[in-house]
Amino acid sequence: MRPLLPSFMLPVLLLGLLATAAPEPSPAQGEPPALRTDHLYSRLVAEDDAVVPGESLRVGLWLRHDPEWHTYWRNPGDSGLPTRIELGVPPGFEAGPIQWPIPERLPVGPLVNFGYSHTIVLPIEIRVPADLDADSITIRARADWLVCRVECIPGEGEYNLVLPVAEEAAGDPRWAADFARADRLQPAPAVGRAALSFTAETVEIRLPAQTTNAGGTAGDTGSRPEPATDIDPQWLFFPVTPDVVSNAAEPRWLDTGEGLALVLPKNDYFVAEPARFEFLLARGETGKRFEARPVTGARGAAADGAGAAPVEAAGSAAGAGAPGAPRLPAAPGILLALGLAVLGGLALNLMPCVFPVLFLKAAGAIEAADDRGRLRRQGLYYTAGVVLSFIAVAGLLLALRASGEALGWGFQLQSPVFVAALVLLFFVLAMNFAGLLEFGGRLAGAGQRLTQGSSDRAAFFTGVLACLVASPCTAPFMGVALGVALTLSAPAALAIFAALGLGLALPILALGWVPGLARLLPRPGPWMQTFRQLLAFPLLLTVAWLMWVYGEQTSASAMSWLLAALVGVAFGLWLLRIHWRWPGYALLALCIALPLLRAPAPSAPADRAAGEAAAMHERWTPARLAELRAAGEPVLVNMTAAWCITCLANERVALSSGAVRDALRARGVHYLKGDWTSRDAEITAYLESFGRSGVPLYVLYPADGGEPVVLPQLLTAEMVRQAIEQI
Amino acid sequence: MTFQKTLGLALALVLTAPLAPASAAEIGAAAPAFTLTDIDGQSRSLEDFAGQTVVLEWTNHECPFVKKHYNGGNMQRQQAEATGKGIAWLVINSSAPGKQGHVTPEQARAIQADWEAGQSAYLFDTDGEVGRAYGAKTTPHMYIIDADGVLRYNGAIDSIQSADVADIEKAEQFVEIALAELAASEPVSQPLTRPYGCSVKY
Repeated sequence: MRPLLPSFMLPVLLLGLLATAAPEPSPAQGEPPALRTDHLYSRLVAEDDAVVPGESLRVGLWLRHDPEWHTYWRNPGDSGLPTRIELGVPPGFEAGPIQWPIPERLPVGPLVNFGYSHTIVLPIEIRVPADLDADSITIRARADWLVCRVECIPGEGEYNLVLPVAEEAAGDPRWAADFARADRLQPAPAVGRAALSFTAETVEIRLPAQTTNAGGTAGDTGSRPEPATDIDPQWLFFPVTPDVVSNAAEPRWLDTGEGLALVLPKNDYFVAEPARFEFLLARGETGKRFEARPVTGARGAAADGAGAAPVEAAGSAAGAGAPGAPRLPAAPGILLALGLAVLGGLALNLMPCVFPVLFLKAAGAIEAADDRGRLRRQGLYYTAGVVLSFIAVAGLLLALRASGEALGWGFQLQSPVFVAALVLLFFVLAMNFAGLLEFGGRLAGAGQRLTQGSSDRAAFFTGVLACLVASPCTAPFMGVALGVALTLSAPAALAIFAALGLGLALPILALGWVPGLARLLPRPGPWMQTFRQLLAFPLLLTVAWLMWVYGEQTSASAMSWLLAALVGVAFGLWLLRIHWRWPGYALLALCIALPLLRAPAPSAPADRAAGEAAAMHERWTPARLAELRAAGEPVLVNMTAAWCITCLANERVALSSGAVRDALRARGVHYLKGDWTSRDAEITAYLESFGRSGVPLYVLYPADGGEPVVLPQLLTAEMVRQAIEQI
Repeated sequence: MTFQKTLGLALALVLTAPLAPASAAEIGAAAPAFTLTDIDGQSRSLEDFAGQTVVLEWTNHECPFVKKHYNGGNMQRQQAEATGKGIAWLVINSSAPGKQGHVTPEQARAIQADWEAGQSAYLFDTDGEVGRAYGAKTTPHMYIIDADGVLRYNGAIDSIQSADVADIEKAEQFVEIALAELAASEPVSQPLTRPYGCSVKY
């Protein structure tokens, strides 16, 4: 029994046949030719040549795409539409869902879609009733799809399939290969459930500890479970549930110690945490389907502390094994992070911006060297000031992140207003240190109340000041510790920031508590005045640097206005000194308030990038990175910010050196630079995918899609050159 | 101590320094400013529409999804209703020269006239800068900016992702609903949806 050509299809078919000279699959004798629509042949096919009552039958929508054209998977990705099939079966028959084969990743510019090209069958299983009493049955289908190359064309078709009813059925050889391929491409359900957790920018998916293949392909039911196939970072990730994770980003793999976890940026249209999330992991024709549920309480693998380390892909293992090769630094556990934070705080004391403040406190200590009780009390107040300020800033950061802001440590400096305020602060401090100002009378009511008459209170606010001036100088230790902090629960994160403050305050605290230390201090004398004046210069240097940051964030004219305001502040202070009180106050108020109130909008990175066109690097965008990675090119990513001293030092010393430049050129490495000077949610997401909350971050991607290597936060030219040569 | 006074002054000014507003296209944040050339060669800025609610519609006349909403009359109806209430409706074309959907001002005028479209202005974003600043992904892709310049909606025109005109009347019209909620001073119930359509041809 052969199906007849449905009359409604005739005009379509004729048009199709006339319009195209493309090679068309030759129809078997009597079989209706495939439906030809724009760039696609389609037909409804059955796996077997007959229907057997009481058994199941598989039919499928058979699609053959023109070269370069594709249709879409159930989750089409960033654009596109899933193919829809509506089956019309006789009463008593039950049609199941489409058994979607593993799709292909289809990058289009900055977007990634999921779909099929060449020839594919989308199978559907149909239960045939046991009491079927007919010679033949007709299955109807209506399908629609979007077929795209770069441009997209919607298409639709209607199909009839007539099959004889028989006691036994044999496979239809015409479609056997296509159904077999669809079977091989069926993802097998994974054993166990994956766990989901969320941060402001990322989604972390922890795979079940033992990922075993539940069975063979969906086709050969009844086969015994196969031994576990180990999932590794070579597997491709496909989100089944849309709008949760980014389609374009490749996941970052972590080894939590209990299993693997994947970190992905959130989808742009992420609205709420899903109750259930489905995804595939696939390698070649093998795929596994996972179901994930959110975990409550835990905050991701990094929160588990020790043992969470990024996975080394097999491809890069050889290079990484060589002595001196850069390894991916392991994310530290909470205790280690606390220790690092204390060390980082200690190191902050030596930064050019903090050191003068330390001297202020030390100067007080020198004068009080003989009074142990006063030393101790002031040390405690100072420590309280530092620690509470760090907690306050961290609390603000956590609160803003909880409200969905894309921020990381150093976020204050992404605001030009804050930078302008720091410029004014450092400038006024420098004037004071230089001895150019002898204030008389009441200066600022608020300021005076904070400090007057109580050296304890002064000690406390010196601590606050130390925290403020430390903010531009993120020490190298701090990057990792703070990155961990932001992935932890709020109390643990605050503890890490408090530890950082404690480290910063330690030297002063030690003066009062370590016996003999205070006696080592030099005796007070006229040298202190000279030394104090000397310290005005590092402060002014900090002003010059912050001024440059401000100029980078805004414009040369905004920077000039701020410079003019500094001159105005100096003039106002001088007026006060010669007792022209009111003009002095007025001028001071004007010069301090104006730069803060009329804050210029941060300039777009694109504007800044234009000026760098001649430089050897390109601007980092997720799209550009994905594009280069897809093309198998090696890439060096540098995440930096004008306010990050470590970043600038690394660029000067290592990345801009001749040795590194030559190595980059010799290996054909693309150098992408991301500028986090102003806020950028995409960069924040990228940093978080590496467990970081701040810059610098250096990532080296080997050619041909190997696992990326994270370079240390302090670079030398030699280290970078070696790393480039080993990929 | 003079230092303490300096310190107090400095602290007072730093602690009161506000954080700068966000710069990306985020719901509830200031919408990215722009200045584009319209169909008559005039410069039009988002600022020109301050005090008015503004709808942005990304278009590409060759895209089947744009055609769906114009051939079905959905877009024109919403444009007429919105502009009738004093809302500015800006159609933006981000197709780069040589890419699909790139048109001259004369072609654009003819296309919109042919559809009897009722936009307030048709703007050319040939270098794609505004499209990228807003993160426009598809045609159509819709945004709503309130009278204070705050972004209130980003997403699809309606709820059924298809190129089929017959789906329009079954779909939830997201833009229309959001505009009604804004007019009633209510929060937009679905401020972020996934846009569907052809990719923007940057």
